[in-house]
Amino acid sequence: MERTFFTPKEARYPNNQSNGHYQLEMQSTNQPQSSHTSTSRSSDSGEPCGDGKWASKLLRECARAITEKDSAKIHHLLWMLNELASPYGDCDQKLASYFLQALFCKATESGQRCFKTLTSVAEKSHSFDSARKLILKFQEVSPWTTFGHVASNGAILEALEGESKLHIIDISDTLCTQWPTLLEALATRNDETPHLKLTVVVTASIVRSVMKEISQRMEKFARLMGVPFEFNVISGLNSLGELTKEALGVLEDEAIAVNCIGALRKIEVEERGDVVRMLRSLHPRVVTVVEEEADFSSFKNDFVKCFEECLRFYTLYFEMLEESFVPTSNERLMLERECSRSMVRVLACEDEKGHDGDCERRERGSQWSERLKEAFSPVGFSDDCVDDVKALLKRYRTGWSHVLTQGDDSSGIYLTWKDEAVVWASAWKP
Amino acid sequence: MVVDELDLSDYSPTTTATTTTTEDDHGCNWNGWSPVVDWDMLSGDHDDFHDLIESMMDDKTMLHHHHPARVLNVHDGCNSAVSPGTVMMMDEEVTNNGGGGQDFKGLRLVHLLMAAAESLTGMNKSRDLARVILVRLKELVSPTDGTNMERLAAYFTEALLGLLEGAGGVHGKHMLNNGPCHRDDHHQTDVLAAFQLLQDMSPYVKFGHFTANQAILEAVGHDRRVHIVDYDIMEGIQWASLMQALVSRKDGPPAPHLRITALSRGGSGRRSIATVQETGRRLVAFAASIGQPFSFHQCRLDSDETFRPTTLKLVRGEALVMNCMLHLPHFSTYRAPDSVASYLSGAKTLNPRLVCLVEEEVGPTMDGGFVGRFMDSLHHYSALYDSLEAGFPMQGRARALVERVFLGPRITGSLARIYRARGDEESCSWGDWLGAVGFHPISITFANHCQAKLLLGLFNDGYRVEELATNKLVLGWKSRRLLSASVWTSPNSEL
Repeated sequence: MERTFFTPKEARYPNNQSNGHYQLEMQSTNQPQSSHTSTSRSSDSGEPCGDGKWASKLLRECARAITEKDSAKIHHLLWMLNELASPYGDCDQKLASYFLQALFCKATESGQRCFKTLTSVAEKSHSFDSARKLILKFQEVSPWTTFGHVASNGAILEALEGESKLHIIDISDTLCTQWPTLLEALATRNDETPHLKLTVVVTASIVRSVMKEISQRMEKFARLMGVPFEFNVISGLNSLGELTKEALGVLEDEAIAVNCIGALRKIEVEERGDVVRMLRSLHPRVVTVVEEEADFSSFKNDFVKCFEECLRFYTLYFEMLEESFVPTSNERLMLERECSRSMVRVLACEDEKGHDGDCERRERGSQWSERLKEAFSPVGFSDDCVDDVKALLKRYRTGWSHVLTQGDDSSGIYLTWKDEAVVWASAWKP
Repeated sequence: MVVDELDLSDYSPTTTATTTTTEDDHGCNWNGWSPVVDWDMLSGDHDDFHDLIESMMDDKTMLHHHHPARVLNVHDGCNSAVSPGTVMMMDEEVTNNGGGGQDFKGLRLVHLLMAAAESLTGMNKSRDLARVILVRLKELVSPTDGTNMERLAAYFTEALLGLLEGAGGVHGKHMLNNGPCHRDDHHQTDVLAAFQLLQDMSPYVKFGHFTANQAILEAVGHDRRVHIVDYDIMEGIQWASLMQALVSRKDGPPAPHLRITALSRGGSGRRSIATVQETGRRLVAFAASIGQPFSFHQCRLDSDETFRPTTLKLVRGEALVMNCMLHLPHFSTYRAPDSVASYLSGAKTLNPRLVCLVEEEVGPTMDGGFVGRFMDSLHHYSALYDSLEAGFPMQGRARALVERVFLGPRITGSLARIYRARGDEESCSWGDWLGAVGFHPISITFANHCQAKLLLGLFNDGYRVEELATNKLVLGWKSRRLLSASVWTSPNSEL
């Protein structure tokens, strides 16, 4: 499936972005979001396409009613959603439940408080063990995160080939689950095992608390692998916009690789350009970027459109979770709750300066590419790397595939689930 | 009217009630949903529930004032001990505590039913949504437990589910006639028992019979021969009391010869409460025992239940009466409206002295389409349920039997009929139809009216009788009209 064309859904594609460089057109049909049937759904889905699933219909109507300030309708729809929703039901019921929360917050302008509450509740119930268990379980049943890891590691290893002093700056919340494989690869190279300095920049408050344990484990693992290793954590930032070259402790003789997994979306939209420039100033050999394929930024001022995109993306995500996990999985529940926080954040928290918590405004691969091209040029993934990705996907249930993009000077691989692009991985050099 | 404390159109957080800022306040501003409840509107008296529905129907925009979301007595639902990160708008416990809770639940059920009806036919038609709502309703109600509203909601939910599943197909029509709720599927003993209960505990059966019989007695005062054609004779109990009245007329002429022709439904061996033959035998025996000259005949309807007047055996000089009972517990109304039409139009050609019609009263036709008629039907049956409760106060099982045997199928049938009509046609009562095709009304006498009042006096004083037209008496429960009995004559009959 290399060298195929594909495009994200035309209806929601931000036409104002010049995507002239990336003529992406998907071969398979792009159906409206309601076409994804869930295997566990008991109600019959033999509906004419125009009908759509009940939850998405009600939710969209509610979003519209909120924009129109139709108080009676808002009440009615929120009430109906509340009657029919459940965070423990089928996909529709779950989506209804979490989106209901976001819509309620939007309607009552209580998004900030709600988000704070949800976050603090989640923090209280997280521990190193639970966080680790969650990530590992997710990686076991779905390539959603491991895809990015494999692609990035491949690009990093190739870019840092032959170097003896490596400094990887990891801006992610993956609890370092990406690095053991890389350490192993470094250890088993034919030539001298290089020295690796790993600087992890952590944003999510939930993750901060567990980094101590992580650092201990990483150091232990590196010792086992026989890789000279140094580990730093930067966790005091309120936002990634505050990141500076100095704070990162970059040294002259190091070969730098910057690894951004789900990191760029955490930056406030206005600051993204600056951060890209800051990264450029580090003179890295390679920058790997992995982001979820959704656009929550373009329609900041159009609530209904933004809502539709959220609905599309999270419907996909929830359905993917449903098909990947066993029905009674606790991890799945936790992941869904994570989404609920993002939903509230994107939909019900007006972007003001100075509030805490990360931004969650995702952009599509093509949009990130536009930004990154200001300071970098793309690096294609080697055949070996793509082979690694293919091998990875084979380990999971059917439905997963990948697509390489083609364009003038583009690179990047999309992870697709049921022919929908869901995660984008790319590599860049100055 | 309920005052809006929370008006979302302002979107200003300051309109919400103050929130506490303790550690435990997980501050999702649920407190802002005002607990202001106008309890006068939600009377604690279950029997008056249908008043609430009525007030909701009178002005559809008022609906939003009675919306459960507005009367939520919501407390802070964010309880991390229960479910971290999960915010619940309505705690189940809130809805089930005590009297206020019951009314609240009833309101919720009505809203859910209405939402289901809307999603079946409204502008935003969505069968998927309808199904989900009905599944939810089924979780909340049971046909045998709970308040009137809950049990009623259970039957309505079943009926809507039937529409959802059977609608639009050949299946639908089949369901109508042979569905699980069909009368014939019930044990004969059950049906008999239910009928007896209905008769004893409410005036529904007797009202129709007595009014018709009185009109008959007055119309055939001096006739030597009387021929009554009965559309749906069932047990024939109406005629036993007529015969008694005929025989015990003082200072009048001797009892006329009475001939009754009962229409029977042929076809696929359907049982009735009693077969027409059994009824005939019983009536013959009874007539003999009281000295009433009597003969009994059957007349078969076609397989599609069409009435052919030519199949009737008429005798010169007899006074012809056409009797048409369509109300509870008769089933004909929904089963075959064409059949009723054929009977009444057949009647026209026969020039009867009298046509006695007893049918259900429906509310005025509104523009509400299916949903409007659905709500009207809900109102109707909730009044019916309330009235039966008045008659069976301690006997839940007896009521449940009547509900199962008679009301459930009627509800299913009513809704199916409304659904098929889809609000396109004007809902027309058979009485209107008779008037329109040329039958002349015959006044209900003062005596007849008094008799009806006396009858009702034996039951609960929630019942009342009105004279809606000179030839029409209506039985109602509180503010809801339920049954009408009307009397007509053919314009060409010899008086």
